[in-house]
Amino acid sequence: MNRATVSSSLPSSPSRRSFLGLGLGAGAALALAACGSSKGASGGTGTGSSVLKWGWALPTSWDPVFSSAGWDVHTLSLVYAGLTKLDPHGAAVPALASAWKYNADGTRVTFTLRPGLKFSDGAALDATAVKKSLDRGRTDPKSLVAPQLTSVKAVSAPDPTTVVIDLTHADYQLPNLLAGKTGMVVNPAAFTTNAAGLASKPAGSGPFTLTSYTQNAKAVLRRNPTYWDAAAIKLSGVEVYPLPDASTVVAALQSGQYNVAQIPGSQVEAAKAAGLEVQVIPSMVVATLDVNSSKAPFDNPKVVEALKYAIDREALLKTQAFGHGEVSYQPFPKGYAGYDPNSANLFPYDPDKAKELLAQAGHAGGLDVTLTTAVAQGEPEQIQAQLKKVGINAKIEVIPQAQFTQIIYIQHDRQVAVDQFAGRDSAVQAFQVLFGEEGLMNPGRTTPPELTAAVDKVTRTPLDSPDYPTVLQAATATAVRSTPNVFLYTVPRILARTKSVSALPEFTVVQRFEGVSVG
Amino acid sequence: MRTLRRTGRMPAARVALAVLAVVALLAVLGGVLAPQDPLAQDTTRVLQGPSGAHLLGTDYLGRDVLSRLLAGTGRSVFGAVESVGAAMVLGVVPGLASLWLGRSFEWSALRVVDALMTLPFTLFAIAAVGVFGNGLHQAMLALGVLLAPLFFRVSRAAALGLKQAQYVEAAELMGASRGRILRTHIAAKVLPTIAVTTAHALATALLTVASLTFLGVGVQPPAPTWGGMLASDLGYLAQQPWAPALPGVLIMITVGALNLLADAVRDSGAAQAAEPAAGGSAGGTSTGAPDDVPAARDARERKADERVVTV
Repeated sequence: MNRATVSSSLPSSPSRRSFLGLGLGAGAALALAACGSSKGASGGTGTGSSVLKWGWALPTSWDPVFSSAGWDVHTLSLVYAGLTKLDPHGAAVPALASAWKYNADGTRVTFTLRPGLKFSDGAALDATAVKKSLDRGRTDPKSLVAPQLTSVKAVSAPDPTTVVIDLTHADYQLPNLLAGKTGMVVNPAAFTTNAAGLASKPAGSGPFTLTSYTQNAKAVLRRNPTYWDAAAIKLSGVEVYPLPDASTVVAALQSGQYNVAQIPGSQVEAAKAAGLEVQVIPSMVVATLDVNSSKAPFDNPKVVEALKYAIDREALLKTQAFGHGEVSYQPFPKGYAGYDPNSANLFPYDPDKAKELLAQAGHAGGLDVTLTTAVAQGEPEQIQAQLKKVGINAKIEVIPQAQFTQIIYIQHDRQVAVDQFAGRDSAVQAFQVLFGEEGLMNPGRTTPPELTAAVDKVTRTPLDSPDYPTVLQAATATAVRSTPNVFLYTVPRILARTKSVSALPEFTVVQRFEGVSVG
Repeated sequence: MRTLRRTGRMPAARVALAVLAVVALLAVLGGVLAPQDPLAQDTTRVLQGPSGAHLLGTDYLGRDVLSRLLAGTGRSVFGAVESVGAAMVLGVVPGLASLWLGRSFEWSALRVVDALMTLPFTLFAIAAVGVFGNGLHQAMLALGVLLAPLFFRVSRAAALGLKQAQYVEAAELMGASRGRILRTHIAAKVLPTIAVTTAHALATALLTVASLTFLGVGVQPPAPTWGGMLASDLGYLAQQPWAPALPGVLIMITVGALNLLADAVRDSGAAQAAEPAAGGSAGGTSTGAPDDVPAARDARERKADERVVTV
């Protein structure tokens, strides 16, 4: 989802605010270094328990129905479970449901729940609870997941372990879709009594339970013994913190403030040199430019095409991510079923061609555009310089991070915005967000008919069908050729951890912690 | 003028003035003196150390750091000058007027000043930018409004004693107009005090400009500023731990020079500041106590005002 901007922008905004904190942090790091390395190692084990201290990001809401950031799925997955979950490669596997089955024409899917499931408060998690939770996501007037569930006609619970979902048309994406925020099962007892309270007090059945939460500061979670897969959870608890400051993250890891943290590409070498383990985990996140094709000059397809040729993605990747990631021209990373090999080098950097296209569009003398961003330094500056080489004078407009969603995704009145797409649990969901007429990252609000047809075909193709990759790749190929968004490079999830933390499982879509221990 | 001449003879002041002259030169000609285009990126040479081609190395987009420092001087310095200029206009004029325009104006002006003094510089400037748009002028004028009480208090305190000096009263008795008294008898005596305040205020404003640009307020990238460079350098401490020192030292030296100059002006003007009171009693007819009492009260009030200012 759109909110990957959070991941790119947060490192710099707190860094500015905590200028003094930098000095204090450096002082603290020195003081701790002086105490010897044992101090750093004891950071996560000071109380004898195994608590993971994760410098990551806190969610916009602990209620999956009203969470407005795709990025929230990582933290919400700590406290909620769904009928399904995604395996490391992004395929749906059993979770609360032990199995599911589609009918012959793909219009009904029946999930079988595991027996004896419980919410973290001890209440029974049965088919009726699942139905109520899904119905809330579908029907609440302010639900942010409802657009994903439009193919659902009805949910029923014929018996305590059977959930039947009737669909308006064949939709084989549902098991994938329900692995994310859309399918997180919320305890009906919580939303029938105090739905607003869910924003700060989640009520789910995930691997952990939230015990205390201070907005913008810290979330403390402890292991949930009633989680269906509790045996795989070795941690006694997790503490989640806002995204650490790029300039202090390595020192904070050394000092034990965190024992796992997301770091920018610029800090990888420093983290390794400090004796930290660094994992570069391929993810679904891709850097993008959201282009508004309803606004001049981007209402002219030639200008959009010129823009795609004018960006030197190699240079961006090297400078902004220190080479961590891959140049990309499409929404899916290599290795994912939807990755179209024929679009691998679709718009190679070609400033001459860009100029020629601009000339054909009647802008031989150059043109002015406004590049909107929440974080001015770095990528926007570099893109501005690249565009200048082809005659596009881009003025950088900086808007507050807090208003980015409202201005870019809701108002749609900017020409082009620097953004990131965080990926989605289901490929069709990704298409809807990026290219759908209601898609958050489709400011032009139009979808080419050929793309609608291609995506419809994907929806109707079973995921285990041998044709599925071909059909999905065809949709990708259509999308990247017929829509204005500019894909730039993939953004891997770079996690640094202290040696006391065991290796983290490498899930492309959602970071999970099964089997992770702090010792 | 005598104060300024005396200041010029002080070694500390000479050093400060020399530094400020260089800074002023860079502020005006920084862009011209820059050896390279401060905006020209070379992404094949990012975060490089000092070399023949780049005397102070390159930044995260391969831009020449020296050129950016030089080109950024003007934006940082002019911002500070703009805010202090606004503060002087908004502070000195009402400060002097409050002594002559009657009690109700005086009371109102003092309450407004009291209210303004409770507001924090940086937050107020950010709020102003939020309301009026992200520009350096908006931020600096907002800062000027907050610095104005300083000038109000200082100019009022300085003029308070002079107002009842016997030669001013004599001028009034001889029919001199209020404007003439302000021009010939008050302004020249108040000027050294305002000069001290101006130097101090410039230092404060420069630090605030640096803080605001550090926060990304007021300046559109990729335009270089000292504060902005400091902020971006902090993201690359692992590669260039020394980089933030460059804009940091420039800010420090400039602010230090301004403070040094302010101290020098104050020291050299101190003797003269006492003159009106001394001159007043010496030139008077030594009628004794009744005249001394208001003078003493004025002095106390003046002291109290100065204390508020220095807080």
